[in-house]
Amino acid sequence: MIPYNTMVVLGGVALLGAAAGPIGALAVLRRRALVGDALAHASLPGLCVAFWLVGERFLPALLLGALVSGLLGVGVLAWLAKATRIKEDAALGVVLSVFFGLGVVLVGILQKRPGNKAGLDTFLFGKAAGLQWLDLLFLAGLALVGLTLVVALFKEFQTLGFDRDFAAAQGWPVARLDLLLLALIAVLVVVGLPAVGVVLVAALLITPAATARLWTQRLHRLLLLSAIVGALTGAGGAWLSSMIPHAPTGAVIVLVGAAFFLLSAALRGASWR
Amino acid sequence: MRRQTATIAGRIAWALLAGLLLLSGCAEPVDPEPALQGGQPWSVAQPFAGTPPIRVVCTTGMLADLARNLGGERLQVTALMGEGVDPHLYKVSPGDVAKLDAADLVLFNGLHLEGKLGELFKRLARRKPAYALAESLPAERLLGLEGAPDPHVWFDVSLWRDLADRLCELLVAFDPAGAAEYRQRHAAYAARLDDLHAWVQQEIASIPAPRRVLVTAHDAFRYFGRAYGIEVRGIQGISTESEAGLKEINQLVDFLVERQIKAVFVESSVSTRNVQAIREGCQARGHPIVLGGELFSDALGPADRPEGTYEGMVRHNVRTIVEALR
Amino acid sequence: MNRQTQDYPALFLRELSVVYHGRLALEQATLALDGPALVAIVGPNGAGKSTLLKAALGLIPYTGQVRVLGQPIDAVRSRIGYIPQRGSVDWDFPVSVLDVALMGTYGRLGWFRRPGRSEYHLARECLRRVGLEELENRQIGQLSGGQQQRVFLARALAQQADLYFIDEPMAGVDAATEATLFEVLQELRDQGKTLFVVHHDLRSVPEHFDQVILLNRRVLAVGPVATTFTADRLQEAYGGRVLALHEGMLTP
Repeated sequence: MIPYNTMVVLGGVALLGAAAGPIGALAVLRRRALVGDALAHASLPGLCVAFWLVGERFLPALLLGALVSGLLGVGVLAWLAKATRIKEDAALGVVLSVFFGLGVVLVGILQKRPGNKAGLDTFLFGKAAGLQWLDLLFLAGLALVGLTLVVALFKEFQTLGFDRDFAAAQGWPVARLDLLLLALIAVLVVVGLPAVGVVLVAALLITPAATARLWTQRLHRLLLLSAIVGALTGAGGAWLSSMIPHAPTGAVIVLVGAAFFLLSAALRGASWR
Repeated sequence: MRRQTATIAGRIAWALLAGLLLLSGCAEPVDPEPALQGGQPWSVAQPFAGTPPIRVVCTTGMLADLARNLGGERLQVTALMGEGVDPHLYKVSPGDVAKLDAADLVLFNGLHLEGKLGELFKRLARRKPAYALAESLPAERLLGLEGAPDPHVWFDVSLWRDLADRLCELLVAFDPAGAAEYRQRHAAYAARLDDLHAWVQQEIASIPAPRRVLVTAHDAFRYFGRAYGIEVRGIQGISTESEAGLKEINQLVDFLVERQIKAVFVESSVSTRNVQAIREGCQARGHPIVLGGELFSDALGPADRPEGTYEGMVRHNVRTIVEALR
Repeated sequence: MNRQTQDYPALFLRELSVVYHGRLALEQATLALDGPALVAIVGPNGAGKSTLLKAALGLIPYTGQVRVLGQPIDAVRSRIGYIPQRGSVDWDFPVSVLDVALMGTYGRLGWFRRPGRSEYHLARECLRRVGLEELENRQIGQLSGGQQQRVFLARALAQQADLYFIDEPMAGVDAATEATLFEVLQELRDQGKTLFVVHHDLRSVPEHFDQVILLNRRVLAVGPVATTFTADRLQEAYGGRVLALHEGMLTP
């Protein structure tokens, strides 16, 4: 008989992993793997502002603030790449450091104000152990939307990823598709924050996809396998952390993901092809 | 019984201090490291030589409240941490550093309550009068957990009263000119603390024995449990720095359901996420529990409300607990 | 009877100019060319050949007017096929040869629809046409240069377009593949299509192409190979460098 709380946490992070897998795979293929990381860091100021406005522990409001901030980061990133000569990795660095720096300052300021500040620091590493029923529904909704979009737009993402010029010539709105992918990453990052935190959510995006890539050469199989590995990573990590005293669930999940990757690398040889 | 022992210890310390003052010992700042010096006299390098009010900076609101009550007009007291601030995780800002630099006397709890400030205070103590008040309590009065002492000493009112005694000694040593006033104020305040302690004992005793279990977000109430005969369980552990894993949450749900405990309590400076998760877990096993109300654990309440003082905080906590559990 | 012998040219450019990184990559290009035809676009490096294709396809910003099959490009995209240069592709992408050929059918499917049996059939037919039916499950990065080019041609065939823009299809390709490619291109022209091919090897132009566009940032000449692909025109386009290459192949 599995305890209720374990089931909720298991379900929640499994769904999160299932959505993070394919979205992360597309991100990695589009060379946007680090965008997820930058976004996670860029969400911090939004979190703080929401915290200050709504106060306390009203999670949907906090996540909305994080999302707005994260998407703002996306917008700045896209603008920097388009309007200036700055290359993408440098632009990433700019967005990450400026937004996160601002966030750290805001955290410092908020610490001083009267009123309840508890809970802000859990966003650094997440508090998956405290996942509740509503969070689970929220994650289920996100997973559903994310996976639906990935499946529905499979051929569009496939064409775009392989040969951007050809896709554009065929008439696909390549810039907007790229933006949609960035938005998906942003939403995933934000919803993953309470579970695994700012620092670790990027790992959830990248590791299952990297693992799946070692097993298949076809995109549809890659996406499916990423989803499965992601779900197993989440579930395995959650289950394992329920056995170890004082285990930080987020970190255990990431370690399970890494274990899958290393195992696959050993079995398949570590070449990307 | 314990109070008597403490009072005797306090008097001995007092006598020793008076003797030392006469001898004018050498200056040696109190080392804030947890090599406990409970029961030993304060060593004050240089008594205060300026004009009052003495600028006193405390870390927690509880200490500031105590200092204000004992010091009156002779002290100008500020606290670094306000309501709802978690002292285990608190880090100083540049503004704080300025306040500390300008202070004449710095008071902190010690015993690693201010978990992130250890280095800071070590450095501060070398050039300024800075004292770890809780570390001056006799070692046998302190509770330990896995080798380290539990710093939440303010939850046992009688222990806090002992701390008040020690603070009075310190103030007298530091500012001999104000000795009379300090002693007078201390006598009055100590009496109130004694009354408060008795009241708490009475209130807690009114909860039927099987229901006398206090479950909170973190293990801050162990002194409370010891002093007033109530069993305490925290979800997180002694410091909010330690993470409550899924295992702990499951264990607590089991505990609550088995013992049929009606209520759990949230704390003002700790996140409610884990507490909510436990509620759901209990609900799923057919044993709905209520949130007994908010307790003030590591900080006082808002400054403009009764809960903004130590006494007010204690009364609030006790009333909340008794109401929910009785 | 095909649609292209009509009152509009296959490709119409008027004063097409493109600025790229601050310099004028294409300057006031003007031409009108009727189909069906197999057209070579030649010129020295940096002449703006790829640029012309990309501008015509609306992939880069330009000034001037472009009409493809008599209409703005957005109205006829489903009738245009494109084979970009090999450099713009992600060779590590997890797609097979069949997947790539199938991509040619996506344009006509539109949003959200998946390729069905007829699309798969068409894709396989196109692979057969270029001689790659055995390799349909190979990952695209594992193919040789020539094979990759043939896949792209298969993809273009699957587009079932009326007009094709093809960018350097023979670059880095072995002789056998080149022969196959030309075969297919000429077949398409015979079916009534118009193909614009950026081509670098001047020696093969007279043999395979009907028309030629000589480009060096400006359009220097347009017309049938017989009359346009002459020594002095080439001289104009390439400067002195080209003379040595053309012994024995210039038209009298």
